[in-house]
Amino acid sequence: MSETILQVKNLKLYYHTSKGSVKALDDVSFDLAAGETLGLVGESGCGKTTMGTGLLRMPTPPGRFEGGQILVEGRDIIPLPEREIRKDVRWEKVSMVFQGAMNCLTPVYTIGKQMMETLQEHRGMEKAEAQELIKEYLGYVGLPADVTARYPHELSGGMKQRVVIATALFLKPRVVILDEPTTALDVIVQAQIINLLKKLKKTFDLSFIFITHDLALEAEVSDRICVMYAGKIAELGSNEQIYGEKGPAHPYTERLLAATPRLRRKVESLSFIPGTPPDLITPPMGCRFHPRCPKAYDRCRVEEPPVREIEPGHMAACWRCFE
Amino acid sequence: MSNGIDGDVILRVDDLKKYFTPHQGFLQSFGKVRKVVRAVDGVSFEIRRGEIFGLIGESGSGKTTTGKLVMKLIDPTSGRILFNGRDVTSIGQAETKEYRRQVQMIFQDPYASMNPRFKIRDVLEEPLEIHRISGNRAERDTRVVRALTEVKLTPPEDFMGRFPHMLSGGQRQRVATARTLILNPAMLVADEPVSMIDLSTRAEILHMMKDVQRDLGLTYLYITHDLSTARYFTDRIAVMYLGRIVEMGRADDIIDHPAHPYTRALIEAVPEPVTGKVDEVKELPISGEIPSPSNIPPGCRFHTRCPFAKEECRAEAEPELMDLGGGHYHACRRWKEIG
Amino acid sequence: MKLDDAAFRLKEFWDEFRKERNGLVGLGILAAAILAVFLEPLIIPYPEASSRWRDITYWQDNSKSAPPAWTNLFTARKSAVARTLQDARIQDRGPGEKVYTYTYDYDYNRAPYDLLVRGEGSGNIPLTVTVRRPDGVSVEIVRYVLQDLAGQTFRLSFSNEGRSNALEFLRKTERPENAAQIATMSYGVAEILFSKAEPDFVKGPKPLTGRYEIEVTAGFTDPRASIEHMEIVVVGRVSGILGTDSMKRDIFSGVVAGMKWALMIGLLTSIVSVLVGVFYGITAAYFGGRVDSVMMLIFDYFISLPVLPILIVFSAVYKPSIWTIIAALILFFWVGPVKTVRSMALQIKEETYIEAAKALGAGHGRIIFRHMAPLLIPYSFASMALAVPGAIVYESSVSLLGLGDATIVSWGQILHDALGSGAVLSGLWWWVVPPGLLIAVMGMTFAFLGFAMDKILHPKLKTR
Ligand SMILES: Nc1ncnc2c1ncn2[C@@H]1O[C@H](COP(=O)(O)OP(=O)(O)OP(=O)(O)O)[C@@H](O)[C@H]1O
Ligand SMILES: Nc1ncnc2c1ncn2[C@@H]1O[C@H](COP(=O)(O)OP(=O)(O)OP(=O)(O)O)[C@@H](O)[C@H]1O
Ligand code: SF4
Ligand code: SF4
Ligand SMILES: [Mg+2]
Ligand SMILES: [Mg+2]
Repeated sequence: MSETILQVKNLKLYYHTSKGSVKALDDVSFDLAAGETLGLVGESGCGKTTMGTGLLRMPTPPGRFEGGQILVEGRDIIPLPEREIRKDVRWEKVSMVFQGAMNCLTPVYTIGKQMMETLQEHRGMEKAEAQELIKEYLGYVGLPADVTARYPHELSGGMKQRVVIATALFLKPRVVILDEPTTALDVIVQAQIINLLKKLKKTFDLSFIFITHDLALEAEVSDRICVMYAGKIAELGSNEQIYGEKGPAHPYTERLLAATPRLRRKVESLSFIPGTPPDLITPPMGCRFHPRCPKAYDRCRVEEPPVREIEPGHMAACWRCFE
Repeated sequence: MSNGIDGDVILRVDDLKKYFTPHQGFLQSFGKVRKVVRAVDGVSFEIRRGEIFGLIGESGSGKTTTGKLVMKLIDPTSGRILFNGRDVTSIGQAETKEYRRQVQMIFQDPYASMNPRFKIRDVLEEPLEIHRISGNRAERDTRVVRALTEVKLTPPEDFMGRFPHMLSGGQRQRVATARTLILNPAMLVADEPVSMIDLSTRAEILHMMKDVQRDLGLTYLYITHDLSTARYFTDRIAVMYLGRIVEMGRADDIIDHPAHPYTRALIEAVPEPVTGKVDEVKELPISGEIPSPSNIPPGCRFHTRCPFAKEECRAEAEPELMDLGGGHYHACRRWKEIG
Repeated sequence: MKLDDAAFRLKEFWDEFRKERNGLVGLGILAAAILAVFLEPLIIPYPEASSRWRDITYWQDNSKSAPPAWTNLFTARKSAVARTLQDARIQDRGPGEKVYTYTYDYDYNRAPYDLLVRGEGSGNIPLTVTVRRPDGVSVEIVRYVLQDLAGQTFRLSFSNEGRSNALEFLRKTERPENAAQIATMSYGVAEILFSKAEPDFVKGPKPLTGRYEIEVTAGFTDPRASIEHMEIVVVGRVSGILGTDSMKRDIFSGVVAGMKWALMIGLLTSIVSVLVGVFYGITAAYFGGRVDSVMMLIFDYFISLPVLPILIVFSAVYKPSIWTIIAALILFFWVGPVKTVRSMALQIKEETYIEAAKALGAGHGRIIFRHMAPLLIPYSFASMALAVPGAIVYESSVSLLGLGDATIVSWGQILHDALGSGAVLSGLWWWVVPPGLLIAVMGMTFAFLGFAMDKILHPKLKTR
């Protein structure tokens, strides 16, 4: 097993709103090895983006850490001063492609100017040098050098996403968090971006945290998959353990997979998960999935299942799996 | 156009075109001449009564524009739309209103398609008010309750007093469906009705829509970029590329035996939730991105990206849809060679 | 938008509004102004001030160019305050004779200009007025016979009717060597009555403070004879809350009566013109294309009109009534909200729910009134508030040039009269400052309200 670069231990991150505390991350633990891609899947609102911004140690207000550790190369970054984080961690070790970032490029500046800003802010680089670097990285993501002179609206969605990815790679981070990087793109462009990511990972020896709600897509990119439900980890296992013949262990993953339409197999009816994810201010007692779980029984309603290893490298939080 | 499947035709679209001319100011008109956007560029298809017809394609291929043309929300540049055998392309205001009672639309964004200041009851009563149906309150309420029950929002009373922002995306899309059903339409145009809804409930909405379609004998024009749901949801599919249909036929035929290189590429690109593909880089038969509809390539409009393109594809006239038998059509002149 | 919904929104708005200090100040002043309009008949001393502003007979018994009464607080030499003495003690004395006794406490250094006996009488009535002074001396000042009255108002001025009696009284105490000066001195009847009766009066009278009793003896031997509402008017040197102008008009009554006109001009102009402007803007945006181009052309034409010059020429030629002036103002003011409304409507028009309504078969009217207009209500309110000051100022400007409606009293007209009579040069500040200040305050009030509303309601528009 290769070196572990990121370790998350019992992380809690709550949003303190006027209506109460949204427990967006509640006791989440996992680790990430060098060169690995970890997939983060779950329904909308389960805490995926919160995890991403949390790992950069920049929770969106009113979010605050309420406990746990984030170890980057063995060092806990939660207590570090902001200056240290900026100098040493954020963008330098861990960077992120934000959800919808390609639509957040400033329309009034050229692509080159926007990329240049990131570089100069962090490295105080000479202009000529920075320009060289920008060209180089645009090459890596398969864009011609002349896009620097263009404005965002002159680029297609796929091209903008490539620009954003290149920007995230600039400072040679070790971990890149990709939050829904292909959700707004067409299938063909999505496949192109996925291929690009796979290539970049090899070239730069990167680790990815790949966030999406699409289980099918996750199957194609992630070595390990972490399924989240209502701010907690439901199941975490290797690609084989989740998508293999045997099928996943947790009822939530199982249902999610069954609800994923498949192109190459004609199905008469798709299944779905009735109900909606719970409100994270007052999540249900016991197992958070129990109101929607077809396998729930008495214990599930009162006692919360811990995350336990059910086979080597395969964790789940379900009473049924422990039997 | 004849085909192998029986059933009477409810909607026929004949060589429909919609060109957008970008707005030019007085001064701009002296400058460079901007090109016409050929969003829909000669589309023909037929939808049979009680059928779910899928329109599929990448972003910018003209799906929504086709949907809006069918809804008569915009006027075509040329071509005809026949509803129940009647030309509705240039009908008057009163007739358009009646047409809209029979043909309804569900929009992509459930967050944007309802006036945020309307309660669900107001949203659902609006069509009744517009068409002056059911005068009194009690009667209207009954219809609203019935429509909400139809889309399985129960108990309906719980939802009537709420504002759209108090509902989840899935629930909103149910309300949007209920709003269309309240007028007893014959046909629904559904523009990506589930693309903004959580995967876990996507199937539920499609399921509900299918139930409603069966119960009420509706016809759907289902617009999507998602082949996987189309396979599950539709009876027939038309694949659009740059404003034109390049392949059309039964859903299973299209997906299991695609004839056109573009359809093949689309299918190839769809991810599948099975293990063992992490380390492989997917072979993509086509490269690049869809060209701009203001600059459509000559000849076969797909030739700039087609792996099988030959000089003839560029030089010769654009291929028309060709019959493969069994109601399966495609528009690739080199179909035989590429097998 | 149903009723409970509207109530909820209103409450939400109020919760926000409470946090805007300026807005609250504005609201407070506006409430006070509205209150003043409703209580006008109760708070102004001259209830017909509004309708009889230009009727000099209505004001004839007032003092001319008198400063406000409260100026006494700031000077050592107090001036007699203008007032009327109404509650008379009435005694019957012998057959057909009545005595009306009015008490007047005099505690000033400077005597009033004059005193008057005023009332409504009928028939022939002999009247005698006697002043009983605190020093015990009585002076019979007026002796007069009212003749052939039939319910008209009679006015007997002490200085007109009683000069000879007063001088005679003065001569009794004045040194003989000063006798020549009596005829030429500037002191009038009131000074003689309210000063100590001692020698050297002509060199400078000394006030005699204390309780005076003014007795009016009336004879009722004529069977038709009767007297109603008899009172003594003290024509003071200082008068009322805001003094009087050179036409003897009470300025306080004038500005309070002007309040309703200011509000009316401001609100009516702004409401009508904003309504027109908003629907103009929405319509242009909604229909777009050629309709929009033509409507914008008309708009451009209107917006480039120079308001004031045209208004002035128009007023000079037509001598308009206030309603015509308001109509003319609307003609210029409706363009105000058009640009913003149009651009907002252009955005709203692109919302999917508008398209959805169209797809349901909704007509133009429904889309404009049910879907688009409600979103513009907040902006409309704000721009109404912001248009008010402009309207008030324009009306004042027209009035200031003497071109206003002569049948009402507006602040601009009061100012016009003041400037025309050289009030500034002769130091009649109480004539100039109040209307000027009120114009400014009213403008500010609505500006405050408008800004507060704008601040609260605008972000709401962006979030849906
Ligand atoms: N700034 C915030 N303030 C309050 N609550 C927040 C905030 N950001 C997120 N939340 C809440 O925290 C929970 C997790 O949100 P998060 O954005 O992490 O979800 P997600 O899994 O990324 O969802 P999606 O798939 O929609 O992007 C949600 O319930 C959300 O409503
Ligand atoms: N009103 C318009 N004016 C100018 N161009 C337009 C207009 N509406 C659409 N287009 C252009 O027409 C083309 C087809 O648009 P359309 O919305 O029909 O595509 P679509 O297939 O629905 O794509 P998507 O999957 O992104 O919804 C696009 O290039 C679009 O930019
Ligand atoms: S613990 Fe119980 S409720 Fe939760 S997933 Fe397992 S079986 Fe379902
Ligand atoms: S006609 Fe030629 S370019 Fe077009 S799809 Fe067929 S092979 Fe490709
Ligand atoms: Mg997210
Ligand atoms: Mg579309």
